[in-house]
Amino acid sequence: MIFTRRFLLRGLFQGSAATMALPFLDCFLDGKGEALAATGRAIPTRFGTFFWGCGLTKALYLPKSAGANYEDTPQLASLKPYKGKFNLLSGFRAYVDDKPNIQHWTGNAAITTGIAPAEDTKFDAKTIDQTIADNIAQGARFRSVEISCCGNKRESYSSLGGSNINPPEISPLGLYTRLFGPGFQDPSKGDWKPNPEILLQQSVLSVVADDRKLLSKGVGAGDRARLDEYFTSVRELEKTLQVELQRPEITAQVEIPTAPEEMPMNKAVPNLRRVTPILARLLALGLATDQTRVFNMAFSEPASTIYVPGDSRPFHQSTHEEPVDETVGYQPITSKFSTYSMEGFATLLEALDGIKEGNGTLLDHSLVFAYTDTSNAKLHAVDGIPMILAGSASARLKTGIHYAGASTSVARVGLTVQQAMGLSVDRWGTDSNMTNKPISEILA
Amino acid sequence: MRTGAKTLLFLTGLWLVVAQVPAFAAQAPYLAGLRRLTETQYRNSIADIFGPAIVVQGRFEPDRRIGGLLAASGTTLSITPSGFEGYAKIADSIAKQVVDEKNRAKLLACTPKSATAPDRACASRILEHYGLLLFRRPLGADELKARLDAAEATTKLSGNFYIGIRYSLTTLLSAPDFLFRPEMAVAKGKDFTLDGYSRAARLSYLLWDTTPDPALLDAARSGALDTDSGVKEQVARLMASPRLESGMRSFFSDFLELDTLGTITKDPTIYPKYSDEVAASAREETLRTTIDLTLKQDGDFRDLFTTRKTFINRSLAWVYAVPYNLSGEWMPYEFREGDGRSGIVSQASMLSMFSHPGRSSPTKRGVALMDIFLCEPTPTPPANVDFSIVNDTNNPKLRTVRDRLNAHATTPTCASCHTHSDPIGLTLEQFDSIGERRLKDDGRDIDVSAVMAGKHFAGAAGLGQYLHDNPKVPACFVRKLYAYGTGASSEDVEKGTIQPFLDGFIAGGYRLASLLKAIATNPQFFGAPPPAANPSKLSMNTTAR
Repeated sequence: MIFTRRFLLRGLFQGSAATMALPFLDCFLDGKGEALAATGRAIPTRFGTFFWGCGLTKALYLPKSAGANYEDTPQLASLKPYKGKFNLLSGFRAYVDDKPNIQHWTGNAAITTGIAPAEDTKFDAKTIDQTIADNIAQGARFRSVEISCCGNKRESYSSLGGSNINPPEISPLGLYTRLFGPGFQDPSKGDWKPNPEILLQQSVLSVVADDRKLLSKGVGAGDRARLDEYFTSVRELEKTLQVELQRPEITAQVEIPTAPEEMPMNKAVPNLRRVTPILARLLALGLATDQTRVFNMAFSEPASTIYVPGDSRPFHQSTHEEPVDETVGYQPITSKFSTYSMEGFATLLEALDGIKEGNGTLLDHSLVFAYTDTSNAKLHAVDGIPMILAGSASARLKTGIHYAGASTSVARVGLTVQQAMGLSVDRWGTDSNMTNKPISEILA
Repeated sequence: MRTGAKTLLFLTGLWLVVAQVPAFAAQAPYLAGLRRLTETQYRNSIADIFGPAIVVQGRFEPDRRIGGLLAASGTTLSITPSGFEGYAKIADSIAKQVVDEKNRAKLLACTPKSATAPDRACASRILEHYGLLLFRRPLGADELKARLDAAEATTKLSGNFYIGIRYSLTTLLSAPDFLFRPEMAVAKGKDFTLDGYSRAARLSYLLWDTTPDPALLDAARSGALDTDSGVKEQVARLMASPRLESGMRSFFSDFLELDTLGTITKDPTIYPKYSDEVAASAREETLRTTIDLTLKQDGDFRDLFTTRKTFINRSLAWVYAVPYNLSGEWMPYEFREGDGRSGIVSQASMLSMFSHPGRSSPTKRGVALMDIFLCEPTPTPPANVDFSIVNDTNNPKLRTVRDRLNAHATTPTCASCHTHSDPIGLTLEQFDSIGERRLKDDGRDIDVSAVMAGKHFAGAAGLGQYLHDNPKVPACFVRKLYAYGTGASSEDVEKGTIQPFLDGFIAGGYRLASLLKAIATNPQFFGAPPPAANPSKLSMNTTAR
């Protein structure tokens, strides 16, 4: 029997889609059927960021020794099970040169763009996750997935540059629906078949893409850039649909759970403890099934205002208002919020390390860049901002090392990350942040 | 070949939809601005075009406040990949509902000769109709042809006329011309001005916050909107409509930053009365107050700061600790003089938006009110400032929030900002983080006195009168209303631009309606920047970024 496109679509609209035969696309896809048969490819390396606001407590997180076998510190206790799988980076500096230190923004933006920002909440370049997505997202369903653990629709630090942010998923149900709702094809199921409706959605985008010609008359540079971004977004969706038409490559045998319930999303620490592991688990499943290879998870915003119910001081206010306890040398209540943030990060590592892939785990095939906006939040300091690189990026990084940056540029970390992700880049950043020196001590 | 599916589409011959590139003529309209629809504008537009029964559900790109207004982010932000993914899903869901069997008869302009075969004449009527409404201008010949061809091909493939219509409607709903408002301009003498259809959209979104209605589109088509008298006629019609209220609710919501109520949280162990319902009610209270005073009563705008009249429902009555003796949902209420309330600055909305989750913040309140009502943003504090004194509640000498804030504010590096914004915030200290009244702080009476620019006042009533009498307040209001209409950042609007409107506002007794009318009927409101010297070509290849 010959399966034609018309047959396929008729079947769809007459409600008989379920009777479609599987190999129908073989004759169309590339004439050889290779696209459908493509399996057994190397496990992709994923990249993600984990952002939390207001830094860590130096007296509680910073080990005295550097290199491998550094001593455990109390604020990183929750990460101990994964100590051999991450690198702790301390002492790097975001240089501001003649720009202002924009509180809670400069550190954040300098780390992810290599450029000290000129304006609050504006990125002077594409963030590092998007640069990496340009190189590794092709073939996955979504270019990247953003998540706000506090449920704030403005809380995303992933951007193609400027003020636009890639909007985050703001609840477990929202994340689930994006990853495993309509359009999801379970690679662990043997009865996979493409959804012919996708062909029609593609046709929609073809027509829309042609609209650009009519809008190009006399347009100024700013609006041209915005139109370009719009049409790039159209193109990204075309890619997503293209992936949905192909048999997914099975990289992990995982069970996709049923949809989670709606749950409250806010900045209360107990609630973050409830939802973060669920978000992390869903994200890990999405990575394992190649829905995306790039993610950005924000545990809290810069100038984090997570709070403990009953205490009227949220994290950020606490950093400025709690006196330093001279007997211990730090702010005791404030430091707890940093510890909670690391506990949130630990749940992400747990979720990634909990999925077996090839000879290792999903975490081993990932590189997760955890970073924050300040070192000492009380002073809005941007030298010595703590960062963590978790996962070995499929053995491209050595792990288990504490590396002290000795006031060298934060952009060294971004450069190292890009090289570990296989990007051909030998220098990164601008002005005093510019560097051509990756952290060779951790590159494998 | 890029993809297998593209090969397929090519083979079927469906995708030879090649739009003709129109020649760029010197006098042709050009793209002078591009404004992304807000979520509210999107929802209002869909409800007007397809009816309120169509469900719009999905994720929208977040807006960002620029110069005090979200409206300005529409001229700054674009659409991201995952944002577009959300819009595409919503578009698909809307189109599906429109062609649904139960809606067809009502929503589609004609019935095809056969439900299983293409009917180009009927498809053309449907798509021209919705194209005009969604794009706020008639479809170009190429745009229509592309959609008719697509509908015809899809109908042939699916054997279903409505499937063809559905996907062609989706192309309209996903198009940049719908998701953005492209503002097209033409030369007029030595100046440049918006064309009729772009004027229609600007007026409609300013006054009704929705898509132009058929009468307005007709005025654009006939050329009436290119004339001052035609504009005046349409503005009078739009302003006479009850829908003006919906448009002004959108404006006040943006101006007063009421969207903030959707993002704040309160600690339930400290404020058990607070809930999502209280937040929504607080927003509604402020909108009812502003609309009633400025539009329905045509009152003096400045009375928004002094009136004790408001509207409450059951959950607000609980917060305000006042009797609620109505079975209906909302009732007008007037606070007594001794209640310490004065206008919108002492309503639960403003008091809770600019507070911490667990306590009030004179600084946050002061900074926000200065920014919103006086157009005076407070500079960010120095990076290495030490705030610990503010919260050292064990200091026996500094027992109240005011004591501690003052001690901190007398540090020279901090003083310049705190003298700027704190006095306003401190006058509201008799209200806690959700707007409940309290008279004591740590067992002592709360001092709500303040000095601003040499003027002494106390409490919400004193603050209300101070704002009422401050000439910066109406100037800031005019500036923001004008910026809201044009999409500019309020900080970029020239003083000279708004001065005539401000003069008229003052002379007319601070009436919103006459201010709106003055702005909307002034040719300057439709002014456009000249076209780019070298019309920029869009890059045709965005595959590699």
